[in-house]
Amino acid sequence: MDWAGWALFGLIATTALTAAMIAAQLLGLTRLDLPLLLGTIVTRNPDRARAAGFFIHLGVGQGFALGYAFFFVLLDQATWWLGGLLGLLHSAVALTVLVPLLAGVHPRMASYRAGPASTAVLEPPGLLGLNYGTRTPLVTIAAHLIYGIALGVLLRPG
Amino acid sequence: MGSDPRPIEDYGLVGDTRTAALVAPDGAIDWMCIPRFDGEPVFGRLVGGPEAGTFRVGPAGRSTVAARRYRPGSATLETTWDTAGGRLTLTEGMVAEVAGRLLPPTLLVRRLTATGGPIDAVVEFDPRLGEPRRPPDRHVRGEALVCGWPGLAVGLHSAPHLAIEPGRPTTVRITPEQPLTIALAVADREPLVHVPPAAAWDALEADEERWRAWCLDVDDAVPQRDAVRRSLLTLRLLTYSPSGAPVAAPTTSLPEVLGGTRNWDYRYAWPRDASIGVAAFLGVGKYDEARRFMAWLLTATRLDRPRMPVLLTLFGKHPRAEHVLDRWPGYAGSVPVRAGNDAARQHQLDGYGWVLDAAWLLTRAGHGLYAETWRAMAGFADTVAARWPEPDAGIWEVRGAGAHHVHSKLMAWLALDRALRIAESHRTSRRRRRRWAAERDRLATDITTRGFDPARNTYTRTYGSADVDAALLVLPVLGVEPADSPRVRGTIDAVRRELTAGGPLLYRYPPGQDGLPGTEGAFLPCSFWLVQALAGTGRSGEAAALFDTLVGLSSPLGLYAEEMAPAGGRFLGNFPQALSHAALVQAALALRDAQQVTTRSE
Repeated sequence: MDWAGWALFGLIATTALTAAMIAAQLLGLTRLDLPLLLGTIVTRNPDRARAAGFFIHLGVGQGFALGYAFFFVLLDQATWWLGGLLGLLHSAVALTVLVPLLAGVHPRMASYRAGPASTAVLEPPGLLGLNYGTRTPLVTIAAHLIYGIALGVLLRPG
Repeated sequence: MGSDPRPIEDYGLVGDTRTAALVAPDGAIDWMCIPRFDGEPVFGRLVGGPEAGTFRVGPAGRSTVAARRYRPGSATLETTWDTAGGRLTLTEGMVAEVAGRLLPPTLLVRRLTATGGPIDAVVEFDPRLGEPRRPPDRHVRGEALVCGWPGLAVGLHSAPHLAIEPGRPTTVRITPEQPLTIALAVADREPLVHVPPAAAWDALEADEERWRAWCLDVDDAVPQRDAVRRSLLTLRLLTYSPSGAPVAAPTTSLPEVLGGTRNWDYRYAWPRDASIGVAAFLGVGKYDEARRFMAWLLTATRLDRPRMPVLLTLFGKHPRAEHVLDRWPGYAGSVPVRAGNDAARQHQLDGYGWVLDAAWLLTRAGHGLYAETWRAMAGFADTVAARWPEPDAGIWEVRGAGAHHVHSKLMAWLALDRALRIAESHRTSRRRRRRWAAERDRLATDITTRGFDPARNTYTRTYGSADVDAALLVLPVLGVEPADSPRVRGTIDAVRRELTAGGPLLYRYPPGQDGLPGTEGAFLPCSFWLVQALAGTGRSGEAAALFDTLVGLSSPLGLYAEEMAPAGGRFLGNFPQALSHAALVQAALALRDAQQVTTRSE
């Protein structure tokens, strides 16, 4: 297991993923803002939330990188295309499971069942994050491909 | 519905802040979209014809409506009929608060009770989905009737149990000892949650208490408090809770003139309406609602900044292209019935003014803007500073070539003025402020020289036009010139004189001057803006009298459409209309403020 590689390259890959998502936002492709979504779990202020969310996302990304690293060890190979395939799978899980589930646990995110008493201000992402723009799934897939390919290239299988 | 449809003002609204239904006095739900305001109608008879579905619960034989009301301070609707056998009452509503409980996202509850003896009632349940008026796949699961379409299902429970068949009226005898309770649950891409009718009724009663508590907050000092509370409650019912988007109206294509073509889809959210809603809710101390509107604005406009879209879907997307539902006969034969709204593609300058004014009101009320919110607002101000010399479509969304609308320029002035005021307490570069100030001053000069007709002592509809525009009634509250200026008073008088539709009613512009065939009704929000204008220019007595008259023009249930026929007083346009209700609240607040100023000066 390439522990040093995991520690360093996990951070690099997550930073690249976050940068890709922010770039897509700035280009007007999606309203999905992962640092904001994660950071508003701990603070209501959007600017502070983005900073906090960035670090939370780094931690989450590091966790996923561990999974990638174990996978490479199991297959005894780490290549860009294998990383890309894992990235695709990862994005599918993120879009269909992780992001939609956020509405159930996030204290400041409304759900489809929100009523008048709800003080949550973040809209729910919906299936595939489509509430944040129709290009959200494509952006998410692209960002996770970058993440997976980065880990496939940088991590060593053993 | 035929050629003599039920008047729009006869309908009552029940809703849960996620979707809504319109209920006729005979107990028929003739309009309800699922799973959201902008979903497909499952009961669409209002504009889709008899084959588009209805859900009627009411007396089987001859009857007359004895009373119809909302239970005080609630969204629960009560209709009572006199029949040969006694009185029959239908009490109904949707459960708004379902979070944290195993209840379906939409739960409609209807209960029939009899007094004076047993009465025969009828249940006609005929759900059809969307434009094709598609009949459902029907199943009986235990005691529930389940009607399904791909991805969507509705489940009907009744107590006592009735064997209801979709599309076939079922007769039932209601006795004073045993009411009939029906619960309709909706499922969208999830399992149906079957709710026993008794539990559904309990949930509705608990909801009613919550609405009552919500209404208690409303300031006692506002005139016509009951009408204001009904308007606020209607505004809240029309606000989609999962995103905070205020839907303009829950209907599409209720016509602006019977048999006419001005039939638009209002199941979208206009940033302008959200901003007016911020002012209305702030004015009565409902800060959470005001902040939610601003939060929706912030997230919904994100992809388009610094341009602000004219209208958006409930989740801040661009609406689909406008298209005609060819097979739908429309309300009173008013075709086309449209879905989607192409006004979304227009450039409307006034929206920026409303939004920045709302941000200013929040700031003034002590709710400082987050840096991100201020960045968005400052971006809007930059857009206004750059684009105000261009023609636009104006607040009335007239289709065709743009024009230099004086109201739009005034609202652009407002946008820059409010941005400058907010900038005093929020970090802004000196250069940016200088630019906004310079453009604001240029705008003021431009408006006062090109948008004013000295011969008639009035601002005009567009530069060089001979027409006036009822939207100019907002002049006294802007501050572009003093409220007591002769030019402001002259404009108010010109609007009253030239756009009168009789009594308290006003046309928004000279009828028919919008490039479409035919004319339209009087535009109700304009009358409330007139109240505001009169109150703001020291004519409180006149304003109060006008306001009382307008409150008297509401539907029997206290609701307003967008327009009203000057002759006969029938409601026209989509219903109920959030803008009309927000304008009513603002008029009441202007009267309250004017009265407080008078009291202080005494």
